[in-house]
Amino acid sequence: MGLALFYILIFPGFLFLGFLSLAFEFIDRKLYARLQNRVGPPWYQPLADLIKLAAKETVVPREAESRLFRAIPSFAMAATAAAFLYIPIWGKTSLFPFDSDLIVILYFLTIPTLTFFLAGWFSSSLYAEIGCIRAMTQFFAYEVPLYMSLLGPAMLAGTWSVSGITEFYSSNPALALCNLPGLIVAVFATQGKLERVPFDIPDAETEIVGGTFTEYSGRFLALFRMTIDAELVVASALIAAVFLPFFIPASPVFGFILFLIKVFIVVFLLALMRTALARLRIDQMVGFCWRILAPLSLLQVLIDLLVRGVLVS
Amino acid sequence: MIVDRIINWARLKSPWIIHFNSGACNACDIEVLAALTPRYDVERFGVQLKGSPRHADVLVCSGPVTIQQRERLITIYEQMMEPKFVIAVGTCACSAGVFNGCYCVEGGVDTAIPVNAYIPGCPVKPEAIIDGVVKLLGSLKD
Repeated sequence: MGLALFYILIFPGFLFLGFLSLAFEFIDRKLYARLQNRVGPPWYQPLADLIKLAAKETVVPREAESRLFRAIPSFAMAATAAAFLYIPIWGKTSLFPFDSDLIVILYFLTIPTLTFFLAGWFSSSLYAEIGCIRAMTQFFAYEVPLYMSLLGPAMLAGTWSVSGITEFYSSNPALALCNLPGLIVAVFATQGKLERVPFDIPDAETEIVGGTFTEYSGRFLALFRMTIDAELVVASALIAAVFLPFFIPASPVFGFILFLIKVFIVVFLLALMRTALARLRIDQMVGFCWRILAPLSLLQVLIDLLVRGVLVS
Repeated sequence: MIVDRIINWARLKSPWIIHFNSGACNACDIEVLAALTPRYDVERFGVQLKGSPRHADVLVCSGPVTIQQRERLITIYEQMMEPKFVIAVGTCACSAGVFNGCYCVEGGVDTAIPVNAYIPGCPVKPEAIIDGVVKLLGSLKD
């Protein structure tokens, strides 16, 4: 019981994940700034933002569904933190590996998007409703390519467990190169999941004020921001575990350092995309996901099926 | 109290702004946007432009308050969360400038809402806006 609480609250649960997500938000923003040739925020910036928001006045609009409005941010944070428990952090296996935990992680990562939709819907504000419907439209566009791109590597490895996939590819590193199309799809789809440029259509501040979070303020907004930061870490760690399972050492300390480096690489790719691209329209985004990402992820599945056929025979 | 000091520190380090035009000729608005470009890099001070008044701490207000915009300005101000600050950017926002006494103009921003900092200029330079924001934050230190 005590150990379970330690896992949930401290490591690798809320406290550790919170620390990590603030650190990676800083890294992301600093990379973004450096790529734009400016200095960027100081290291404590995400922490200062969080404390300021938590200490600010919090208002629930009279029109909003009060209880759900308050509860939804906690659901988002809890789901993301739960997903983190099943991701390998210091080696080849996660803390609680079980068969098909890849599916569970993907489900947990779906919940924040659904909470964004519900948050916008129960705000009963025009801009928030437009934002949440856009979030949902976008969700149906990127989710299928994301699932299929992660399906390929799992099929080649012959297991649905992240630990099993990592184990398989770290013993056959050459096979991980087959998953290159899947990596591209997964990085693009993650950008959509995190609602960042070029897929920040749901909270496009130049069009629809604050999007889904228009009515959110104070500590609820702080929780949502934490959720998005944590999602960045969890999604990057998942991509790192499935697509970059190289050189995993036996020592947990080096394993953890390597984990940080891999997450940094994925965050760098995401930041590069955020800098280089501009926001798409919602129809362009859906078209891009279904016309380019979905066939690419199908190609990934095909490659993995063929390679597996050659391996088995 | 240590908690109060931490909260005050956080507030000084992360002023999120929202930009409102209460009837300006657009020159000050362009300068405000110029101040937010990578060239001036206000993210060094933690300044971010927010779309929703519920997220923002500082209302950057440009232009004289026209009769039409007065109610909207007050609505936007009231939707902001405490603690909130207002900066009047440009001579018109400070005192209505050349529009003072015009049939459709009420006066400066302070005729509608309380103002914490005045930045004169026609239009203000981005450096002046950043200087004004930093001075406002400096005055909040104690």
